[in-house]
Amino acid sequence: MYGESACSLVKELDRNRGTLPPYNNELIGEVEKEICHLIQQNVADDFKAHEDSNVGAGLDYTATIRTRHAIIQRNLRCLLAYHYNRLRCLRTMRWEFGSILPPDIKVNLSHAESNWFSKYSSMLATYMRSIGDDGGVNLTIDLNPPKALYIEVKCLVDYGQYELSDGSLVLLKESNRYFLPRAECEDLIRQGVFQHIIN
Amino acid sequence: MSLCYSYTPNYFSIEDILVTQERIPSKFLVNVPKLGKLNPSAEENDIKQGTALDLPFWLADPLSFARHPLISIELPRVYKEAYREILKADATAVDLHKLGLYFYELGLYVKRLDPRREVEAILLHTFRSRFKELMDFADDVVCDPVKQNRLDMFERTLFQKAHFSRMQLKSWLNNSEMRLEAATMVINHKKRKRIDVDDLF
Amino acid sequence: MNPEEVEFLGEKQLISIIPTFNSSTIHLVSGDIGPFRASLPVNVPLWVAVNLKQQRKCKIQPPDWMDVEQLELLKEAEKASRNFVKMPSEHYMIEGKLLLSIATDDIARADEVRTIIKDIWDIRMAKLRSSVNTLITGKSYGNVDNLTIMEINSMRPLIPHAMDQIHRMKMERPRFSTPSQSTSLGLLNSSTVISTFK
Repeated sequence: MYGESACSLVKELDRNRGTLPPYNNELIGEVEKEICHLIQQNVADDFKAHEDSNVGAGLDYTATIRTRHAIIQRNLRCLLAYHYNRLRCLRTMRWEFGSILPPDIKVNLSHAESNWFSKYSSMLATYMRSIGDDGGVNLTIDLNPPKALYIEVKCLVDYGQYELSDGSLVLLKESNRYFLPRAECEDLIRQGVFQHIIN
Repeated sequence: MSLCYSYTPNYFSIEDILVTQERIPSKFLVNVPKLGKLNPSAEENDIKQGTALDLPFWLADPLSFARHPLISIELPRVYKEAYREILKADATAVDLHKLGLYFYELGLYVKRLDPRREVEAILLHTFRSRFKELMDFADDVVCDPVKQNRLDMFERTLFQKAHFSRMQLKSWLNNSEMRLEAATMVINHKKRKRIDVDDLF
Repeated sequence: MNPEEVEFLGEKQLISIIPTFNSSTIHLVSGDIGPFRASLPVNVPLWVAVNLKQQRKCKIQPPDWMDVEQLELLKEAEKASRNFVKMPSEHYMIEGKLLLSIATDDIARADEVRTIIKDIWDIRMAKLRSSVNTLITGKSYGNVDNLTIMEINSMRPLIPHAMDQIHRMKMERPRFSTPSQSTSLGLLNSSTVISTFK
């Protein structure tokens, strides 16, 4: 059935909400082939219909051309939706994972998507630096109103050295507890390195 | 990032693409040469006038809704009188998921086929009478998968959003301070990784 | 909004404290606070009060309404009325929650106060749910007078989404249309489309 591969692409995204499945070159190729094929057929039939009408005979291809056209439109829509929704997901990932993606997600990106991600990342960084006169504002922290300057956190992984913004170094070890400025912790909490402890 | 909009389909919407993949009874009004492939049960090259097929809505819609329609389409079974009567009697008792994954969304598309607007009325009636249950259900801390399975896809989205915000409120009421959490995608990513590792052993 | 954001709004509410320290006026973006003179009452935003209390630098003077007799009356009124009764504070739930978690020693019969506030909240929530149900079923208008922000927010995003859906159902043709067929027979310029996919 026409439009089947295109729809599989979209279903693939639907099944994998909240994550990015590998960029499906193979299916995209199939959809592109189907589109090109339909267009070529339409062009040929259109040409033939013209010739026939000059002679005053021949089949009416209007219905065929219209039907193929509807299929082309559908295929285009699915292709565009596939790429668009992947970018939206990628954008959210910048906010959730930070500027460095886990390697097993990174391999799933197409070349163009990788480029887009680094450009988005650096644009966001430039923008955040440009706010105010004071070296900028980090928009990725304080997503909820802060209650206290310092919070207690538990480290969930052996992270190694971590540099605080005042230049001092902390060695982060698994299952150790730390009492740190909230602003310094928030990124690491979002990335799952720290767990926020509440008494 | 927490901005949250109601569902309105747009060109890129995954939901809408899946909704329009649903099939609908169609009948060809004209011959369509060369496109016999549309009919999987016949080997012919052309589609003959009068052929009846279940076409996906994305194809049926543009071919039927035009100045010179190529096909005529019919209401899918679940929006016809027999089913309307069942829904009218007690919409809360119906397993909507079984009637159609996208009962409301497809209903919105096909209601124009019913000039007496009974389909519209039944959509409204169904949604309104099932609403209270959905609202109560969103308040339960543990969600019963059996109940959730009886919702159509739209109700499911609505339920999940409502449930999430109710749980946020509950935990605000019960805790003195809210915990900062890891990002949703990060949590899911970790879970998935754990599953992958489990598969290895 | 999530509840913490609503709480943040509520924390601007002024509340009276008795400081145990001396300090001149402190200038903040949101306005000046102080000056503080030990054992002289002064009004500060709720969040400042909470912070000072946690550092044991003040005693909190609970708002007048945080009193068992008054709250009992309010509860009875809420029970008796079909509509929502006006609350003594726009942020009663937030003030109640914050003060009762850090300043129980400053509030008379704190446990009873906590229970009654929770009771009032529960009565109002039950009313709100039935009011919302009448609204959705289209039987009548929903009644939202005298609801506080936290209460209104508790029904988001369910109500706006449901109302939008009902609106879509009532609309004539709730679809964004694919480009109409009549103009498209000339097709997209086929050669450009083909080249896009090469």
